[in-house]
Amino acid sequence: MISVYYFGAIALVLIGLYGVLVKKNLMKILISLSIMETGVNLLLISVGYVSGKSAPILSEGIKWNQAVDPIPQALVLTAIVIGVATTAMALSAAILIYEKYGTLNVEEIRRLRG
Amino acid sequence: MNEIPIILFTPLLAGVLAWLINVKGVRELIGVIGAATPLAFLAKLYPTIVNNPNNPITYQMTVSGFKVTFTLGMLNWYFAAIASLVGLAMAFGMVSTSKNGYDWLFALMSYTGVLGVFLSWDFVSFFLLWELMTFASFMMVLKRNRHESLKYFVLSVIGAYAMLLAIALIYAKTGALDFDSIRQALYMDAMLGSISKGETALIFVLFLTAFGVKAGAWPLHVWAPGAYSETDQSYTTFFSGALSKAGAYGFLLLYILMGAKLYYALGTFHGHLTFAYIIAWIGAITVVVASFLAVLQEDIRKLFAYSSVGQVGYILLAFGLGTGLGFAGGLFHVLSHAVFKGLFWLVTAAIILQTGKTQFKDFGGLAEKMPFTFAMGLIAVLSLAGIPPMAGFASKWLIYEAAISAHMPLVAGAIFLGSALAFAYVVRFLYAVWFGQRPSDLEDVKEAPLPLLIAMAILAIPNIVFGIAPGLVTNYLNKALGGEVVGGNYYKLVTQTGTYNALTVALLLVVGLAIAGLIYLYGAKARRIPVTNTYQSGNPVTEEFNLSIRRNFYLPLKEALAFWLRYSFDKFYERIAQLSEDFADTLREGFYNGNVQAYSWYLAIVLVILALWGVL
Repeated sequence: MISVYYFGAIALVLIGLYGVLVKKNLMKILISLSIMETGVNLLLISVGYVSGKSAPILSEGIKWNQAVDPIPQALVLTAIVIGVATTAMALSAAILIYEKYGTLNVEEIRRLRG
Repeated sequence: MNEIPIILFTPLLAGVLAWLINVKGVRELIGVIGAATPLAFLAKLYPTIVNNPNNPITYQMTVSGFKVTFTLGMLNWYFAAIASLVGLAMAFGMVSTSKNGYDWLFALMSYTGVLGVFLSWDFVSFFLLWELMTFASFMMVLKRNRHESLKYFVLSVIGAYAMLLAIALIYAKTGALDFDSIRQALYMDAMLGSISKGETALIFVLFLTAFGVKAGAWPLHVWAPGAYSETDQSYTTFFSGALSKAGAYGFLLLYILMGAKLYYALGTFHGHLTFAYIIAWIGAITVVVASFLAVLQEDIRKLFAYSSVGQVGYILLAFGLGTGLGFAGGLFHVLSHAVFKGLFWLVTAAIILQTGKTQFKDFGGLAEKMPFTFAMGLIAVLSLAGIPPMAGFASKWLIYEAAISAHMPLVAGAIFLGSALAFAYVVRFLYAVWFGQRPSDLEDVKEAPLPLLIAMAILAIPNIVFGIAPGLVTNYLNKALGGEVVGGNYYKLVTQTGTYNALTVALLLVVGLAIAGLIYLYGAKARRIPVTNTYQSGNPVTEEFNLSIRRNFYLPLKEALAFWLRYSFDKFYERIAQLSEDFADTLREGFYNGNVQAYSWYLAIVLVILALWGVL
């Protein structure tokens, strides 16, 4: 049986993909990208989950074998930063595009660009 | 000390030096010395070669892990000597026609390549030097004409890949790269049959493509007319005289290496070896197609280019007959084509150098202005048209005899037709360029410079010597082929079907010329008449009226052939190139459309495919 975490994460990715493929508004595409990214991060986190274990911080009363897998968490931390950076850059590109073409419709932009 | 590396690499070294020093005079001196050295050493080795026919001189060296072998046996010596003779003539010609180090570098580089191809006895050095030869000749054409060089390049690359594939297949099957081991392995396999019929046929077709491109065999000949005409004409002497023989040599190699295997794998067809039959027909078609096209050319260089293609067709055809006499005729024609076509290109070089024109319509009456060049051109014409006592007659006669005694009437018919057409085009060259009314802008044309005349003499002498004494060549070939293929003595050739006595013919010709000379001297005095002293259909002609055969002389033939001329392989290849370009354009415009969402779709589809495949 597919875990609900996996299902939810993959569903988020697919929703994001749908938005990227179908929506014409640039802002909506960027939102979809963010959603996809969230889905991917959730998927990564849920891969490392071990049922019933606690956070992977060595402290009183918690031994090293009682923690969940720490590697996906480190990975996701990096991925979040990269995601934010790319989103910020994409948004600034969207601003420039809007200034230049006066529209955010991708087909319209393509037509104007020639 | 072994002479083979000296023979091989002196031209290359001289070319590099000539290019680096590049001082007028020094450059030419180095080039000529570099071109003469192989010929000198080959001449020096002649007694050794002839006295030990079964014990060739070999030289081995190790190049980056590969052991490469060079051999100087009877056959290798024959080809190498022809190449170096033509190479020397080329060097003398280039002293007059070429004014820069670039030409010297690449001309001499291709000289080394050709010698290497003839002397190699394993596929590593054979392929490397084959490519060196192709590269250098490509650079020579590239300098003059980009489009033609591209055509040459693309076809050469196809040939090179075909050869590389064939070598790889042979290596995979036999594990050998040197010719002796390959020959032995394939000979054994002829009986064992562990290499299947299909694989043998594939190797054969690949080699056929590789050697066919270089020999200019139909339908891979399309590069030749452009490449031969769009380069230094002195270099074309070597290009058409010696470099195209590398292809012919390749066909011979095919017999040496895998003759038995091909015979057992492909069997016979109407009493002929199937694979040889294919080669013979390729040769026959090449002869007919190229000769027809040569007749129709209006450019002097194009005419000889097509003629070269046709004459190499004779060689392939003779090799394709697969009999001893066929090999003797083909090998003799390698020599005579090298000397007469080399001579033709040198004459062309002289004409173009002195007049700057290439079209037949611009020429006329040059015989008085350039008498020595004319005499050389006449020797070449007589030799090409196959008029005794020239080398061209002896070799063509052997090929005819071979074709008739091999019972291939259609192939023999093709070469008769080719010869008639050859006569048609050389006669046009003779009359349009040398005789008739002289255009006024050619009044102050001078005789060709001395080095070019020396070059012509180098090639004209063998034409006459081997014409009057064809036995010199056939005796050598008998030894090389290991049997009494052509009988007779120095002046007489005897085959099963006939006898040709060159000395008698020569003497009769001399007597005839003497009688003609006496009539000319003591007969009625020749009178000079202007063009306007002629009447055409009862009307006096004007000064501009064209009474010569210079322009569109064979127009009726062209009209008669119009239906066939529509089908040209040149156009066919160009159409294929256009089609693939259009296809790529459509693909690019359709998929690479600048739409971000389209790219996302591709990505998604690829991911889905991968997921379905089970990769993800």
